[in-house]
Amino acid sequence: MSLEYSPTMSDRADSGPTPAPSAEARLVAAARDGDRTAFGRLYERFSPMVHGVLLARIPRSEVDDLVQDVFLQAMKRLRGLRDPDAFGPWLAAIARNRARDHYRRRADTVELPEDLPAAAPHPEGDALAVLAALRRLPEAYRETLVLRLVEGMTGPEIAERTGLTPGSVRVNLHRGLQMLRGALGRSATP
Amino acid sequence: MSGDYLWDGSGEPDPEIQRLEEALRPLRGTRPAPELALPRPRPGFSLGGWNSLAAAAALLAAVTATTRAPYPAPGAGWDLAWLEGPSWPETRVVREGRLGVGEWIDTLGSRARLSVGDIGEVQLEPATRVGIVDAGRRRHRLSLARGVLHAMIWAPPGRFLVDTPSAVAVDLGCRYTLEVARDGSGLLHVEAGWVGIESHGRRSLVPAGAACPTRRGAGPGTPYVESAPDALRQALLGIDFGSDPRARRGSLDLVLAAAEERDALSLWHLLSRFDGEDRGRVYDRLAALVPPPASVTRAGILGGNAALRDAWWDELGLGSAEFWRTWTWSDSSDGASDPERNGR
Repeated sequence: MSLEYSPTMSDRADSGPTPAPSAEARLVAAARDGDRTAFGRLYERFSPMVHGVLLARIPRSEVDDLVQDVFLQAMKRLRGLRDPDAFGPWLAAIARNRARDHYRRRADTVELPEDLPAAAPHPEGDALAVLAALRRLPEAYRETLVLRLVEGMTGPEIAERTGLTPGSVRVNLHRGLQMLRGALGRSATP
Repeated sequence: MSGDYLWDGSGEPDPEIQRLEEALRPLRGTRPAPELALPRPRPGFSLGGWNSLAAAAALLAAVTATTRAPYPAPGAGWDLAWLEGPSWPETRVVREGRLGVGEWIDTLGSRARLSVGDIGEVQLEPATRVGIVDAGRRRHRLSLARGVLHAMIWAPPGRFLVDTPSAVAVDLGCRYTLEVARDGSGLLHVEAGWVGIESHGRRSLVPAGAACPTRRGAGPGTPYVESAPDALRQALLGIDFGSDPRARRGSLDLVLAAAEERDALSLWHLLSRFDGEDRGRVYDRLAALVPPPASVTRAGILGGNAALRDAWWDELGLGSAEFWRTWTWSDSSDGASDPERNGR
């Protein structure tokens, strides 16, 4: 391993600290100081990301409750966040941890597959079948594709809010979609 | 054009992606924000209003518990997940377990993820050897003998430490990568927040977008911004770890000639790495790039006045270093805890 200024971080690191706080940083600071409107705006902006991170990992019926739980946890810990511009990646990490906790706490239960055949057609049957296929993808592809296809976020938005580089998001989307097509039994070119 | 449509919705829509979007749309979250008790806004704050004293008191108690009281530490250890795949992000969890205090793992050809109590997580690259030193209620401490770890921490500053053979890294929040080579040398990259790093009486404060090398027996070097030219980085290595005084002075010449405003971080650290005439040269170059506040005098800096150096730091636009200034190594003796020396 070279220690001579490895370029491995060069595409991730910023060019340097920026003195002017971003709009997001101002919202975080305001929420930290007790501003409910700011908290509401943060929720509006980031809840689709949190919802997608959780939906990629845990049963759908429990996602909504856990989205709220993640925000409650985050707000309690907000004073520990030193860099308000890192709010999105920080929140995404809390959501991923919360999803892992969910399974640890429910180790004694058996989750039914979401695409279990029903006696009557389910209005969300297609959605649940696709979601089941998504969940069989590698974690990073699964999460990025859920954010794009379910939550309707664009690639740049996913990068901005999760802290992934745009390059990683692009790779995740394209490779993930290719794998999803395979999983759904469709050809690579429709 | 389907690539553009997948990326940002522009270009000609891809019918298959549209079908997937339509099928999955019913799964979107629609629940409104939860009712949340927040602390009372500061007087004069104008983004919104909120007056529930009882709720404010409740949240204040919660925040106080979070920032002052210890974090819960269920069991003496952290959860461990083994990841499989050719390279990130093509990885998935294949096995889960727990790593206890005093236990070590070597990832060999795999990747792994450690949950640092409930204050963060650490991702380990292949060929990485780590052990848990402390999983206590107030402090979490990991020893990195070799390899690469990526840390993401959301606790208040000073709660998470990583020992390496050449220095101790103190998380000041919140995201960084630490590499340790087989000879004990290290390299720290900070992606968000700040990391303090210390050993052998040397201290460096590394903000987001900067890196800092370390060497066994010498401690941390001088931090530099990632955009600094290679010549400047090499010259800093000569200053920090070179043994020939003349060569070291030559390296300083190179640094002073190459330094621009973006390199104020490095020059500020060099104020305490040199003395006498050389410190004066560093002062002059830094003053030309970032003028010191009126209270900071050349004589004071040359005399080694730490308070004046700190006052100058505040002019660099790198954020407050207040926590790091008052940080004490109450439980880390001389700084570096050598994993190899400890029989690992």
